[in-house]
Amino acid sequence: MTGYIIRRLIAVPFMLLGISFILFMLLYVRPGSAAFSVVGSVMTDPAAQARFEEKFGLNDPWYEQYGNWLWTALSKGSFGDTLTPPHDSVTAQLIEALPNTIEIGLITIIIAAIFGIFVGVLSAIRRNSVLDYLARGVTIAGLSIPNFWIAVLLVTLPAAWWAWTPIASEWDSFTANPFRNLYHAIWPAMVLALASAAGTARLVRTSMLEVFYSDYVRTARAKGLREGSVVWSHVFRNSLIPVITLIGLQTGAVLGGVVIAEQIFAIPGLGRLTVSAVIAQDYPLVLGAIMLFAVVFMIVTLIVDILYTVVDPRIRY
Amino acid sequence: MSSDAAATAPPSADALAIEYAIPPRQRFNPLRWVRREPFGAFGLLLIIIVAVGAAFAPLLNTTDPQQFATGAPLSAPCINCSSSDVEHRAWNEGVEWREHRLFGTTPRGRDLWSRVLYGGRVSLKIGMATVLIGTLVGTVVALLASYAGGVVDFAVGRLADMLIAIPGILLALTLHTAIGSDLPDLPGMSSGEFTLVIAISAFFMPGTYRIMRGMVLELRESQYVESAQVVGASNFRIMWRHIAPNMFGLMIVITSISLPAAILTEASLSFLGIGVEVGTPSWGADLSGDSRQFFTQGWWLAVFPGLALSMTVFGFNIFGDSLRDTLDPRLRGRI
Repeated sequence: MTGYIIRRLIAVPFMLLGISFILFMLLYVRPGSAAFSVVGSVMTDPAAQARFEEKFGLNDPWYEQYGNWLWTALSKGSFGDTLTPPHDSVTAQLIEALPNTIEIGLITIIIAAIFGIFVGVLSAIRRNSVLDYLARGVTIAGLSIPNFWIAVLLVTLPAAWWAWTPIASEWDSFTANPFRNLYHAIWPAMVLALASAAGTARLVRTSMLEVFYSDYVRTARAKGLREGSVVWSHVFRNSLIPVITLIGLQTGAVLGGVVIAEQIFAIPGLGRLTVSAVIAQDYPLVLGAIMLFAVVFMIVTLIVDILYTVVDPRIRY
Repeated sequence: MSSDAAATAPPSADALAIEYAIPPRQRFNPLRWVRREPFGAFGLLLIIIVAVGAAFAPLLNTTDPQQFATGAPLSAPCINCSSSDVEHRAWNEGVEWREHRLFGTTPRGRDLWSRVLYGGRVSLKIGMATVLIGTLVGTVVALLASYAGGVVDFAVGRLADMLIAIPGILLALTLHTAIGSDLPDLPGMSSGEFTLVIAISAFFMPGTYRIMRGMVLELRESQYVESAQVVGASNFRIMWRHIAPNMFGLMIVITSISLPAAILTEASLSFLGIGVEVGTPSWGADLSGDSRQFFTQGWWLAVFPGLALSMTVFGFNIFGDSLRDTLDPRLRGRI
């Protein structure tokens, strides 16, 4: 087990190296230099542009640029400076944005897991009842309605009808004002949680039904266990394994959803930072931000793999 | 002793004849399928409605979706409203003016009914092309890489791991900017749409690859592949006649399950303003930027494009689910 975790952790830097190279090449092959798209709108003076390109080494061949970037990243732990106007360090911007994204992602996953498991269990216990059909209808609708549509409706319609909007005038950090911060974060999290909760509920239902008809559940009933403890200690626990996989897989979708939700709810997180950086072709910032997303994703998948062994002791690595 | 003889003897004519025989086909009865899978049939019905609306858009009382001022800006949905609002006529002096505005007009006076129907064309076209490319590339790579084995298999697997670690929408976003406007116009697809297709399909390749690789490895261990190897079938023949056909069902299932996701990704990118060209009717773009400021004044702007998008995705979702249950019930809960 420890060996497996160590092997996985060793793979992470190599994966990040690969990702950084792929992203760098993608952003580098863009027709027209990065300087043009960043500077073109700001400076019209060719001399100023030349100075800018010189300063950021944008005229060097690709291997030199990538080598320089890699060297500063490895030796100083710095991802360079942003190409777009504030020109401050990429790391500082990422550190400022990351907690907001993690906060929304965490709240989303927690809400989704609670609601998804609750609805799924209810639906499986009362299978083929009106409640079950209702739950199944709602979950499939939840999977189909695009989250950005719900988010947009939530932002605009209550504002029109009751002059109320979930968007606070400005974002408060958790340390400064935890109450207002949570109030602001809960709305995008609930919108994003809808689809994840629906997926979880569906899977909980199918996997519980599968376990319901297994031999050991029949044995448990036959030896006279109460239905409640059959459901909880035999069915539920065994049906959790695929559910944990799904919650892990959903992390990718949640991180993608956060990108859009941050735009709509005006939250200064990693997603909004990345989108604006991609549009401005600020490649040091894009590299740093997307790699950070990848790190978060890898950590979550590792945690999921470890959780497996807790839920199902039969699984060994 | 007899088993030794069998192992060294050349494959008999009978064995080869069985190997090359055409398997009997099972009849498919659509009516029975509808009765057994009512939800899937309902999904199919929704898909057909959307597809017909998109395909026959020119016949369904539409105008050019890009044309401004086919009605006054932000006029509410109405049927046969020629007598009720005279000021529209005055506002649009000299412009061909529409009596039926089923879904109202946009802030720039475009006809929303036309935009929603033509938007379906864009969504379905991009969605299908994306999934086709994504699934095909993922499958072919899985077949080749797992057959080549060794370093190739390892490298492709790690590449897939890397691509999966990047959130799909950011990968598509980066690819979209990287490709820029380099791609040529294809027949029936502008270069902007083609760029979008390539960018989004990259998001489906690694996932398809992973599922397909597992399937290839499973099939390679199966007895019929072993027996084909014993009678002396070539590698290519085994791949083409024994493994690929058995992956076909899975491919259809993956396609039908990825399609709604592809349509949603297109809509999300267009919503972020990095999708189709400005002005092109797209459900995602029609819910974003420009018209978002007017949602409070015109509810129809917020409702109809979103409803069309949800209906399409909903239809594909339940149809895909029942297709999976029909074609390969073992996959339930896996994808």
